[in-house]
Amino acid sequence: MEVEKSTSLPTSLIDKSVFPGDIILDLTSMPDQTIKLGAGLRQDCDVVSAVKYGILRFKKPNKYWVESSQKRYVPSAEDTVLGVVMDAKPDNFLVDIKGPMIAFLPVLAFEGGTRRNIPKFEIGTLLYVRVVKANNCMNPELSCTDASGKAAEFGPLRDGYMFETSTGLARMLLSSPTCPVLEALGKKLSFEIAVGLNGRVWVNASSPSTVILISNAIMRSEFLSAAQQKIMVEKLMQRFQV
Amino acid sequence: MTESIQSNTQRVGPILAVPLLSAILTATFSRAWIIFASLLAARGGYFPGFFRSHNGHFMNPDTNYQKKKKKNPDIISWLQVTRVMARMASADIMCVESKAVKEKFTGIIRQQDVRATEIDKVDMYLSFRPGDIVRALVLSLGDARAYYLSTAKNELGVVSAQSLTGATMVPISWTEMQCPLTGQVEKRKVATIE
Repeated sequence: MEVEKSTSLPTSLIDKSVFPGDIILDLTSMPDQTIKLGAGLRQDCDVVSAVKYGILRFKKPNKYWVESSQKRYVPSAEDTVLGVVMDAKPDNFLVDIKGPMIAFLPVLAFEGGTRRNIPKFEIGTLLYVRVVKANNCMNPELSCTDASGKAAEFGPLRDGYMFETSTGLARMLLSSPTCPVLEALGKKLSFEIAVGLNGRVWVNASSPSTVILISNAIMRSEFLSAAQQKIMVEKLMQRFQV
Repeated sequence: MTESIQSNTQRVGPILAVPLLSAILTATFSRAWIIFASLLAARGGYFPGFFRSHNGHFMNPDTNYQKKKKKNPDIISWLQVTRVMARMASADIMCVESKAVKEKFTGIIRQQDVRATEIDKVDMYLSFRPGDIVRALVLSLGDARAYYLSTAKNELGVVSAQSLTGATMVPISWTEMQCPLTGQVEKRKVATIE
């Protein structure tokens, strides 16, 4: 099995697809540097290789990771996700965020949260939360405040409709400048949307038919280019005379 | 001359002897030229010294009686960590002192027992990982589920651990261990064995 090797240029594979086994960096040619390896990369003695299929990304000064899209979510700190309340314990809410382990949302992790004003979430409540701590052996810890303690849009999402997509589509919807499908939809329709990096999307609009139209447009846009997305949205809206 | 314990013990108060000279005796007090016992104790042996009691034996109240109740010796145990949670880590006890255990015992290391300083800022994930071999002190029998253990001393903590790549790590300091293959440093509460 041939293995692609980048020899003198560690950067030759950036923004290109890598396969499991591809050698990304040869560390003997880069002494005395600190490199941060993100998802999908692994160090074997002197060589950094990919363990997942995806696009290799690089962020200055020294962070490499493989961006891949899949239906399951691996929790990592500082992600914003949509979780569903599974249970309520005295100290934590148990929230499912589509990861390998159920996450804990401390009962006091709300703006101005004290023992007296603990929110009451029913089982099945959809929450927009931030992942505080996540590692491979402990249950992830969540919070409904941002890093400075403010509420900042976190909390329960009422009404609307939630559907699940892949993590790649969720990242595309959150990219800036605005994703083409959302831009095209926003020109004619008014709606609100919450996207979780765990692949869950929540849409709310004034009428159910609008919600259905928007959800279908988003689900169809995953593998389309920008121009194709615009055409697809226009056709949908013509069909339903919006 | 052997005497029974009962006849040896003197209750507080009875006159022990009439001092001819003043002397300092343990657990006795003197008043009006009479030495009284101030502690319940067994009569000690013959005290060749300044005084003799009426029958030749001196009271030697055993003031060390209260100290005799021995402090329980520290029991060191060896564990393998099974789960790490936000406020505690649970572990299987494998050896106690120098003997391997035959049946499975579970122990818990609580967040406040991981180290001696800054106990409320302990991050369990930066102290232990599942699979680490830990040297710990048994604090108490704990509850029905598990013994309570402590690593709050320099010589207690992680003794051996594997890195993410599977190699046995080398301790660098009391908070860090390094993988010899990749050079990656991982945080643990490391035992410094001298």
